[in-house]
Amino acid sequence: MNSEIIFNILICLAITISSFTLAWVLGKNKLKQNNKPSLWSLISLWSLIGTTYLAKSIGIFAEYLQHQHLNVAMLNLGSVSFAFVSVPLVFFITYVIVGDIKISSIISSVFAIFGILYLNYFHSIGVENLASTDHSLITSISGDITIYMYIITLFLIPISMILGLLLLLLLQKLPRRTHYKKTLPLVGISLVFDFMVLDILTFTETMQLSARIFIVVGIVLTFLAYFPPDTHQKKLKVNDYS
Amino acid sequence: MSEEIDVEFEKEVASFYQSLGINQGPGDLQYRVILRVLKKNDGSVTSFSEIRNYTDLFADRGSIGSKMKTVFQLEGLVNKVKWSGYIITDKGRIASKFLDETTEFYKDTKQYKDILDRMP
Repeated sequence: MNSEIIFNILICLAITISSFTLAWVLGKNKLKQNNKPSLWSLISLWSLIGTTYLAKSIGIFAEYLQHQHLNVAMLNLGSVSFAFVSVPLVFFITYVIVGDIKISSIISSVFAIFGILYLNYFHSIGVENLASTDHSLITSISGDITIYMYIITLFLIPISMILGLLLLLLLQKLPRRTHYKKTLPLVGISLVFDFMVLDILTFTETMQLSARIFIVVGIVLTFLAYFPPDTHQKKLKVNDYS
Repeated sequence: MSEEIDVEFEKEVASFYQSLGINQGPGDLQYRVILRVLKKNDGSVTSFSEIRNYTDLFADRGSIGSKMKTVFQLEGLVNKVKWSGYIITDKGRIASKFLDETTEFYKDTKQYKDILDRMP
């Protein structure tokens, strides 16, 4: 087996495992009444990211084995989770800022509708006709303006929202440990989202592989927010809640 | 200018300042409500009974009368123009403006605290 294929599958699996682990770790968190909805939205977000990349890794393997049916099935599964990945993120940001479940649900359902429209268009093209290269899963959606528009709406708006929230927190005079604990997950999520867009829109395999590496970096950053290294704990007094 | 005075909200703001160790001024509920009533009637005479309409919910008549004398009259925040009738002074208006700013500070702080609380 080509080493590039192995590396691609491993990177996708790393994203899958770390995303699911992060979702599991968040699920073990102590729930407070006011952060319950945001916590569940984050769990859904990481689970959807994990599912997307699980489908991708199996898809690449199936493509290598010339198993076309499995590849198409994985493309379908991956497209569904990919289409709805922005929904929990939008819910999370709007809930954190507004604090109203109803408003957050309405805004995120707009993105869910957009996701359905994207899926409808994606499947109308015919997943079977999507081409893929030797080592990864660069599909022929590159170049289709309508799909670009869908992806930009599904991703760029949530990314702008998360950067806005990040800026809002960074401009506040907060204790270092609060800055660390609250802003680092946002940096991680925005990195993951930025490079997920690059991953789907890129034309070259190298770029796709680099994007996936940066997704792993984003997830690692999020992990560091919840499990800071000992040196940082002492420096930032991260676990000092006195 | 007519404005509604929300005693419960003022209580919330006063408790916030008390939690910071500020028990006088912005942290004093009686001070807050009296000053709000005086500002509400800016340009006209505020009767003691009108102040009591709001303060009877949480304080007795004697303590409000004492506050009027020892804080508001003594520091020149109000002028007593007739029997149980007061009018706010320029100094009182400055105090009222400061009170508005403490309310804004409370709202901003609470908003950010809520945002941080909602983040897991």
